Amino acid sequence: MTSDTMNGTTMNRRRFLAAAAATGLVGAAGGARAAVPQRFGVTLHPYYSYVANVVGNLAEVVPIIPSGFNPHAYEPRPEDILRIGSLDAIVLNGIGHDDFAGRMIAASSKPALPVVEANADVPLLPAAGSAARASGKVVNPHTFLSITGAVLQVATIARELGRLDPANAESYAANARAYSRRLRLLRADALGKLASAGDARLRVATIHGAYDYLLREFGLEVAAVVEPAHGIEPSPAQLAETIRTMRALDVQVIFSELNFPSAYVDTIRRETGIRLYAFSHIAHGDYAADLFEREMTRNMDTLVQAMLEAKP
Amino acid sequence: MHHQIVRRAGAERETAWVLLASAAIIACAVAAVGLRPAPPPEPVAAAHQIDSRTGLTSAEQGLHADLKVAGAEIAALLRETGAAPKPAELAAQALPPFARDTSATARGSHAWTLAEAGHGVAYAGVSAAPELAGSMVLVLDTHGKDHAEPQVWLKRAAEAPPPGLDEKTLAAAGWKQVTATFTAGVTR
Repeated sequence: MTSDTMNGTTMNRRRFLAAAAATGLVGAAGGARAAVPQRFGVTLHPYYSYVANVVGNLAEVVPIIPSGFNPHAYEPRPEDILRIGSLDAIVLNGIGHDDFAGRMIAASSKPALPVVEANADVPLLPAAGSAARASGKVVNPHTFLSITGAVLQVATIARELGRLDPANAESYAANARAYSRRLRLLRADALGKLASAGDARLRVATIHGAYDYLLREFGLEVAAVVEPAHGIEPSPAQLAETIRTMRALDVQVIFSELNFPSAYVDTIRRETGIRLYAFSHIAHGDYAADLFEREMTRNMDTLVQAMLEAKP
Repeated sequence: MHHQIVRRAGAERETAWVLLASAAIIACAVAAVGLRPAPPPEPVAAAHQIDSRTGLTSAEQGLHADLKVAGAEIAALLRETGAAPKPAELAAQALPPFARDTSATARGSHAWTLAEAGHGVAYAGVSAAPELAGSMVLVLDTHGKDHAEPQVWLKRAAEAPPPGLDEKTLAAAGWKQVTATFTAGVTR
């Protein structure tokens, strides 16, 4: 054994002991550490689906926000922070949709909890809205609302979780590839239905700047975003301006969001006569491994329907 | 005889203390601002690079993301079979951007070919509509020790890349390497 490997072994043992001490496992579990399934935390619904499909039954996926809370309006609660103390790692969106998590981890009993940055490898798009675009610093955090974004994140998650849990790394990688292939086929199915649409060049507006990644997969570009940010309804003057803009841009389709208070969406539809469809933000309902696939199928069906109906 | 000096009524001393306190506060503030570390300098893209967030059209952004996924999948197939899959085989697996679907049409109808690159394989896609999305090349280094990240190169013209496909030749022929940067949430 070379001195390098010996040093490495000592380092690993030290690290292991430190980790075991932190989780209160010294003595209790000792060498049986590998047999205990790891607990990986997630913040948002799609990430539950990703991690659940990557780990299968080899680890436990723990949502730190109880289902029923809207992540856009979530305020950390003590019991949720407490739950972080029981995790081995946490998977984050990290680019603006779960920024509360960093502060929760810092306040938890495990401030040094390993964090998996799911978006580390995703080519990010700028955030919607003129202020964000001008600074260039703010990115659109909704990478999870697209197939390509999901596949890239699933690969990163599998790789990083494999590093943290080397015994299962190969299974994680294989699961991730099988899941990605399934996701890819969902998209191929949707595009197959569009084959008859010919060269449908749609001009699209969205009520919420969440769907750029999804629309880009279909070669569509968002011409306008009506709502400047989540939960901020436009003033009457902004609404009038938006309606003028949409008329000028000759937008054919507006994508709204399911479960959205739509008094002003109705106004836009009435005033412009533009067709309106609703996407799912995948932020509601119970956490489930197949939630992402179900909701994305529905989203892509909606998109296909919109493109077919807009066909001249 | 008893003498007592009575200071005239006035607030000179209080004023002096207040001024002193203000000066101390301003000095502290100046020190805090001065000592605060400056934000890290923005990474400057080299002349032969282009940023995926700001420099690409929406069709190119979609293609770039798909090529990143395809790069990982092709690398996995290479490890399994030892041979580079042909674009037609990738299309049959519904792997974008090789799949011939509506999305491919909307993003420039690229014609993909497999090419041998200096240190591995490359997939060149010549655009039929450079105004929508330029021609692209996906370069995979298969000889490196630790299989380097797949690279994506772009040129806004309907032309095939020069033979060789290494950084120097591509850059000299006017191709740009597409780069992506990670930006954490600003409210973290």
